[in-house]
Amino acid sequence: MEISKMFKRFPTLFPPIFKDCSYRLITNKLTWVLVAILMLPCALGLLVYYEFSGDRISEEVDGEKIYYTSSGELLHEDLRVLFLEISEYFGIGFIALLLGIMFSSELISEEYNLKTMQILRTSPIHPVEIFTYRYISGIITGVILLGLYSTLFYIIVMMGAGIHGILEEIGLLALVIKIVILNWIGFLSIFCAINVYFERPYLICFIYWLFWEQIMSGQNYQQITLTHYINSIIYDSLIEMGWSVTASDYGLVNSNNDTIATAPLISTFIILIVGISFIFIGSRGISSKQF
Amino acid sequence: MSTIIFEEVTKNYGRVQGISNVSLNIGPGVTGILGPNGAGKSTTMKVLLGLARPSIGSVYVNGVNPFDNFDLRNKIGFVPEYDCFYEHMSAVDYVSYFLMIHDFSKEEAVEKAENSLIELGLQDSMYRKIRTYSRGMRQKTKVARATAFNPQILVLDEPFQGADPTTRHLLMEKINSWSEEGRTILISSHILHDVEYLTDNIILINNGRVLASGNRHEIRKLMSNIPIQIKISPIDKNQLRPLVKRMLDEKWITAGRLLENEGEIILETNESEKFYTEFPQILEDEKIIVEKIVSDDDTLDSLYSKLVEGKQWK
Repeated sequence: MEISKMFKRFPTLFPPIFKDCSYRLITNKLTWVLVAILMLPCALGLLVYYEFSGDRISEEVDGEKIYYTSSGELLHEDLRVLFLEISEYFGIGFIALLLGIMFSSELISEEYNLKTMQILRTSPIHPVEIFTYRYISGIITGVILLGLYSTLFYIIVMMGAGIHGILEEIGLLALVIKIVILNWIGFLSIFCAINVYFERPYLICFIYWLFWEQIMSGQNYQQITLTHYINSIIYDSLIEMGWSVTASDYGLVNSNNDTIATAPLISTFIILIVGISFIFIGSRGISSKQF
Repeated sequence: MSTIIFEEVTKNYGRVQGISNVSLNIGPGVTGILGPNGAGKSTTMKVLLGLARPSIGSVYVNGVNPFDNFDLRNKIGFVPEYDCFYEHMSAVDYVSYFLMIHDFSKEEAVEKAENSLIELGLQDSMYRKIRTYSRGMRQKTKVARATAFNPQILVLDEPFQGADPTTRHLLMEKINSWSEEGRTILISSHILHDVEYLTDNIILINNGRVLASGNRHEIRKLMSNIPIQIKISPIDKNQLRPLVKRMLDEKWITAGRLLENEGEIILETNESEKFYTEFPQILEDEKIIVEKIVSDDDTLDSLYSKLVEGKQWK
């Protein structure tokens, strides 16, 4: 089947699959367990806000209320660090990774369990279409879920610094959402492909993430990991936003302590290439799988 | 002309043999594939559908290899034994989605899906979510999905499983009408009566091997070394004893049994053709009028028992 035909069929064939996939993802109990875990920092943020909001020092400049810490520093500059650090464990970190693994399993393995994959294999739909529709559905659902979560968490954390603080650091929220998108484009395609080839996808995905992404990403050859490119983008964006960070904060140095961060545009391009490559790897797995 | 050809096909799953050295030629019309669970029926269907590649041998459907040929999928409708639904979709959504895969526009797909579901009697529930459906309704939905695009070849794996008598009858009528339209229909079932009703062309399979294939009467002829049993009930019950005595004089009658209480005799022969040729003359000579002659051995049940289980008449 030609690529042009696949594009032509996309508007007709994708919406029902997106509806089905997003329904299955949203109604999955594990999704809500992970959402509950994601909400923990939000609850904690609210608690801290109501406990300590009275301790803030404020000043009105041009009709805007600006909050300061007790030591006289801008409060939003303190809170933004808190938001990014917690996000690196939750919205763009370990919990998001678990969500991605769970989503990939629901999108691909579950279709094998439901035997709908067998029916699709006897129908005139190309494996690339089968894989891509589920992958895109996963990205959209995941990004909406984590985008909303990150926005909510950002507001809860930053509301201590008032409207001024929220608006002042909005670029950081945009960066986190951008990372959510790139994370999902890169990792979800790998996880989905793992689900096509392996019968214990949860374990294999986790082993991949632990041994490949976590251990390799601090080494000299970290360019073979997605984490390197994600970190490069975060690092570069923070520098642009005027943050005081070093490459070693994001592990972007080699054993000689030389910075080996990759330019953000190239990093984005590589993440997209990885995403597309694994679409084809996964599709090949679907077409060659025997039942 | 054969639509489906298996040439000495063997399919192994690791050390487990799915089918072994299967050769088949299946043409238009209904062909029944019979065998117990694990006999290799589903593996045969999977190989034919391109879901599994043969370990040895070749399969051709419409002259092409089904595993590699993408276009062939436009011509085959498959009703699996198992459920294969997007449970929260309605039957119309589900069937129309697969029609859109066959390149029908959304409007055409919905219209065709509705018509197909209405034909199968699902008009009252076709907009309900599939997860609320009974087994019979699910079966009809599977059939609608597989047939709505008018495939040239239909592969039906246990299509009557879980269907109530009304659904069963409806599906049989549909299968007969599709057969009359010249389609090639391969149907597997363990309900022999259903297949017997639909076709005389059968394939008997067990332990992955084809035991027999062809017309069921012809298969029966080939089984000349296996005795068949014939029940005879004379109108005058006093003629039971003379009749069994007379019949035992014939060399081609191997055994006879008198069942006075039932008012019948049971004869066993290895040469059914000879029996049916000569028996009327014997009756005429002996002036015996019979009420009925029944050979249960000519039913698929009997063939199945003899070939698959090696069951013999006692």
